[in-house]
Amino acid sequence: MTISRVFPVFSIAFAVIYIASVWYNLALFTYHPEPDLWGPLVQPPKQGPAMYWYGWLVTATLGAAALAALALALPAKPLERAASVLVWLVPIAMIGVISYILRGYFLR
Amino acid sequence: MVTLLLIIHSLLAVALLGALTHQAISVWWPATRRTGSFVSGLRSVPSMSYTNAIILLFCLTMIPGAIVYAEYRIVVRVMLQDYRLYGPEGAFELKEHLVAIGLGLLPAYWYYWKQPAVKDRASTRAIVTTLLAVIVWYSFLVGHVLNNIRGFGS
Repeated sequence: MTISRVFPVFSIAFAVIYIASVWYNLALFTYHPEPDLWGPLVQPPKQGPAMYWYGWLVTATLGAAALAALALALPAKPLERAASVLVWLVPIAMIGVISYILRGYFLR
Repeated sequence: MVTLLLIIHSLLAVALLGALTHQAISVWWPATRRTGSFVSGLRSVPSMSYTNAIILLFCLTMIPGAIVYAEYRIVVRVMLQDYRLYGPEGAFELKEHLVAIGLGLLPAYWYYWKQPAVKDRASTRAIVTTLLAVIVWYSFLVGHVLNNIRGFGS
């Protein structure tokens, strides 16, 4: 059993958790570029915009890593079969979701 | 400093775009034998040898991009909002999320290229590679347009 067999699970989970992080703003930390300050979790803007993107990436990475670790307990063959489709279908679906979330920019 | 990082980001993006486009073409339209023509050469690259380089280039391109992103939020995005350029602003917002999804896709991309001879992974490998190529092409074009929207160095 190799760890790499759950890499597709990581990628599937990453896409879902990342989009959920954006939608619900689940950033593990916030960056304030104007005063050049970092803070834990989601913080309101301070002297300029607040950036959550870095925090969303970390949330998605840790969440996907945890789910991939749990997937090591699942049987290899069915997991491989399901992952071979979900690994591209889920990211494409998540791109559709984020495009829908951002539609306001293009419909004004 | 920001200009230098932006140039490095752009140059790495060009290399990434070329490698990924090459790989995507060769995976969908492989050459059975190399004839020496440009098209044949384009189709007959050893795709597997590109994989690790593409992963490395993706990460190396993203690092300066992530650094200059802060400057974008303070300076460029405000200007886009002032000029009511909602389309370019939204296109860049989408780029930020596509790049994140692409980053998350890299472990699976590596996994499906690890054993290129395994036939039952061929279609997954091709689709994942194409998805990454689309993400990189979109990001490159949006970055290029945003960079030129007021002219370099303005």
